[in-house]
Amino acid sequence: MATNTAIRVRNLTHTVTSNTGDLTILKGINMEINESESVAIVGSSGSGKSTLLGLLAGLDVNTSGDIFLYDHNFSSQNEEQRALARGEYVGFVFQSFHLLPSLQAIENVMLPAELKGDKDARKKAEALLDKVGLSHRLTHYPNQLSGGEQQRVAIARAFASQPKILFADEPTGNLDEENGNLIIKLLFDLNKSQGTTLVMVTHDNELAKMCDRQLVMSAGQLTEKTL
Amino acid sequence: MSFTFRLMLRDIRSGDLITLLMALIISVSTVTSIGLFIDRLQLSFEQESANLLAADRLIRSDELISDDWKLEAQNLSLEQAERTSFTTMMFAKDSLQLSQISAVSNNYPLRGAYLVDDTLFGTGQSTTDSPKQGEVWVSSRLASLLNIDIGDEVEVGEAKLTVSRYLVRDPGSSTSAFAISPRAVMNIEDLAATNVIIPGSRVRYSLLLAGGRDTLAEYEAWVKPQLEDGQRWQTPAQRGERIGDTIGRAESFLLLAGTLAVVMSGVAMALASARFVKRHLMQVAILKTLGATPKLLTRVFAQQLFALLIVGALIGLGIGWGIQEIIASLLSSLVSSSLPEPSVDRLWLGAATGFISMLVFCLPLMMRLIKISPLSVLQPNAKIEQNTVFVYLIGFVGMYGLMCLYTNGFLLPSIMTVVIAGISLLVAGIGWLAFRLGRSLTSGATSGWQIGLASLYRRLVPNLFQLLVFTLIIMLTLILIGIKSSLIADWQQQLPEDAPNHYLFNVQASQIEQINDETTKLNIQKSDWFPMVRGRVTAVNEDTVQDLYPEERGEPELFERELNLTWSDTIGEGNELVSGDFSAEGLSVEQESAKEAKLSLGDELTINIGGNIVTLPITSIRTVDWGSMQPNFYLILPKSVLEDYPANFVSSLFISDDSAQPFYRVMSKFPTVSILNVGDILKQIQTIIGQLSQAIQLVLLCILSAGALVLLASVRSTLEERLEEGALLRVLGAKSSLVRQALFVEFGALGFFSGLIAAIGAEGCLYGLQVFIFNTEPSFHLSLWLFGPLIGVCVISTIGIFASRTVLKVPPMLLLRGL
Repeated sequence: MATNTAIRVRNLTHTVTSNTGDLTILKGINMEINESESVAIVGSSGSGKSTLLGLLAGLDVNTSGDIFLYDHNFSSQNEEQRALARGEYVGFVFQSFHLLPSLQAIENVMLPAELKGDKDARKKAEALLDKVGLSHRLTHYPNQLSGGEQQRVAIARAFASQPKILFADEPTGNLDEENGNLIIKLLFDLNKSQGTTLVMVTHDNELAKMCDRQLVMSAGQLTEKTL
Repeated sequence: MSFTFRLMLRDIRSGDLITLLMALIISVSTVTSIGLFIDRLQLSFEQESANLLAADRLIRSDELISDDWKLEAQNLSLEQAERTSFTTMMFAKDSLQLSQISAVSNNYPLRGAYLVDDTLFGTGQSTTDSPKQGEVWVSSRLASLLNIDIGDEVEVGEAKLTVSRYLVRDPGSSTSAFAISPRAVMNIEDLAATNVIIPGSRVRYSLLLAGGRDTLAEYEAWVKPQLEDGQRWQTPAQRGERIGDTIGRAESFLLLAGTLAVVMSGVAMALASARFVKRHLMQVAILKTLGATPKLLTRVFAQQLFALLIVGALIGLGIGWGIQEIIASLLSSLVSSSLPEPSVDRLWLGAATGFISMLVFCLPLMMRLIKISPLSVLQPNAKIEQNTVFVYLIGFVGMYGLMCLYTNGFLLPSIMTVVIAGISLLVAGIGWLAFRLGRSLTSGATSGWQIGLASLYRRLVPNLFQLLVFTLIIMLTLILIGIKSSLIADWQQQLPEDAPNHYLFNVQASQIEQINDETTKLNIQKSDWFPMVRGRVTAVNEDTVQDLYPEERGEPELFERELNLTWSDTIGEGNELVSGDFSAEGLSVEQESAKEAKLSLGDELTINIGGNIVTLPITSIRTVDWGSMQPNFYLILPKSVLEDYPANFVSSLFISDDSAQPFYRVMSKFPTVSILNVGDILKQIQTIIGQLSQAIQLVLLCILSAGALVLLASVRSTLEERLEEGALLRVLGAKSSLVRQALFVEFGALGFFSGLIAAIGAEGCLYGLQVFIFNTEPSFHLSLWLFGPLIGVCVISTIGIFASRTVLKVPPMLLLRGL
């Protein structure tokens, strides 16, 4: 595999079983994403964007085909191995933030580093929260923060483990325009400063346009949108 | 600080682990407190009964007891004492009197105490001393018959002994009704000097033993195979069947109560675990996306559970110990005797309950938690891999195992399991029908009724589960209250305060009138006089007893010895006809003895009465209430058969403490009449019953408190959804009163139906328990049907509304954000 390829997908097919029978969501997808690239996956609701994102991040197992994340072939790995790979390479930002409600902002950000056994977790988390402008909110719980603030904590958490690839699922979907813009700026700034590969699912065309490439998901097929 | 520990501290701060810890503490402390308390009561009953035996165990023998047996007891470090009882003439001045004498060793009694007095016919003070060498203690009756006082000399055989005290009660005295002469106690060292025991004398030798349960059991196993005819191993339980029966029922009750506590603990743990898992599902999925491996998560949760178990078990054991100490001290202020210390080794039961509860209720759910797909963070509605049947099955089997462990048997746990399964079906059926009906009768959301009833049907499965939990707890409460009331009523009915406590024997027909006059003067209540003629059953139909039991072993009691025969025109108080017709001219046999001797109506018994043989067909079989303290007989013969034989008469009387002294003085005018005082045994029974009645009420209180906590936990487990709904309603403009009304309807309906189903279940269970476990008459409990639904509605809606009060007070925005 070329060293500058972060993600490589070959003949990816994914079928789920529902009450009405088998449903093929992804149909023979092939793609490559290079290191430090920013890629937007766009498409209508139910087209399979989030499913693809989940598979690329190793959150689920595909039905057939191969997904390589650096030298990890997720298709042949078990959950234990995939989790290790996620811990090593991957960061996430979700539409609904997914902060742990029982943890303070600082503790949420410390989690990924703590999982790696990093002794400087707190110091790093404080620096990241400072970067996202929340140094005054360290000990607040998620329900004491606004939506925009919660997403900023989530971004700080995503970068806490210094991931090589950041997956973002509709990161501005639950935010107003002002907060959305703030989040986008943060995301791209951090992406650039840390050299992270960014893979983002979004409905927001403006946001998609800011990415290096746009991939369109339609009826289980993926096509490159020519810019 | 390890990651596990940091996560745990954060979980503790958020309260999730605390809920689980509380459930564990409730489980461990309830089972511990009840287990320890029951243990103390059992020890106490054993001690009370041991007081009647004067020892923990006793070997009774018609022959001298082998030195080997004493040596073995010594080797096992058992305490031992000796008693030799015989009947002989006691001489004093110019009088002589046949007396029942016990010669005892210096350390007699090993358990209990003598009651002695320095005043003739005094009521006595307790002492654990025994007569010194050269001394004799005589009963006031014997002293008055011999006309002697303290300091006088008496002769027993060739030995001269000095009267040093009046004997009021001998702790190990025989209660055998028909060998009663006035009693005396002397030192066993003086026995040889009397020379009264010669080959062929009727002597009863007793070796008394005391020590730890295990050591006694070891000795029993060693000595029992060596026992020959005429030798018996006696335990306190055998000593007083009435006490044994009473204690047996109380133990059944306490065991049942304890088992119910185990069930409640299980429910509490299951609810808390389910809540913990539910609240952690998303957290684990997020941790997985952040790179937490299943192995790491398994280690984290295993360590958390282990730490929780250690902390919860230690706190639970401590609280359990404290609660039983409080119950015991409450009890000791209510009854005179104090309870023995609890055995520390009983604590394992509480710890095992904690461990098994964790293993069966918590672990399977935790495993499910670890298996959650990290994809749930992207698709919150993604199906969580779950094997619900497996989880329930493990919980059910675990609960059954815990009950078996607790009761040390299978019967009660099996009955309970079947009942719980039956109740589950009933709850599913009735609940589904009622909630569905409620929904179909209402539409719209303009009143609390409509919203409440709609909620019941919408959350059908969780509501049915909650209905089951409520039903079980209310049912268990009703059962315990029902049993408690009927047990206590039964005991009180059996032993009224004026139950006869003395028997008069060997009364001649000519003395009856005089004794009647004297007792009337003293205002003493007395039963009728029953004539008694001695006779022995020698044959059944054509077969002689020797032919039927050639080895003289295993003979039914009816054939074993000479019996007291009587005649009567009526069937007598406490007797009930089972079959045949009772008539003054028939032969009536007591049911249990007839069963033992395999006799039925029409069988002919041949009876030897004073050398004359009579053969009579059995015309009736009746039950006898041996607890009535009235004279009772195995055989009642036709008057025409017995009236020509010389009979003596028996009667029972109630003698109060005040009338005891004058009564004994009067009776000294009738030296041939034997008096048997069973007042001590009765008092002992009444003490135990008093203790038991108080004990089971306190245990009940303890269980009810645990039940209330479980109810609260159950309400809390579904609180979040209700809070969310309430908050939404308030956002949409609903008044607090509407939300409150909806909550009241929902909880009230749950309470009503759980109370109703609980009443059905409790009535059925009480019937089964009364008939099969407690052996009492089954009865219908109207109050259950009234109180069940009433308690259900009041308690559940109060707890529900109390637990949900935040929805009415806190601004809806805060609630919605916090969810």
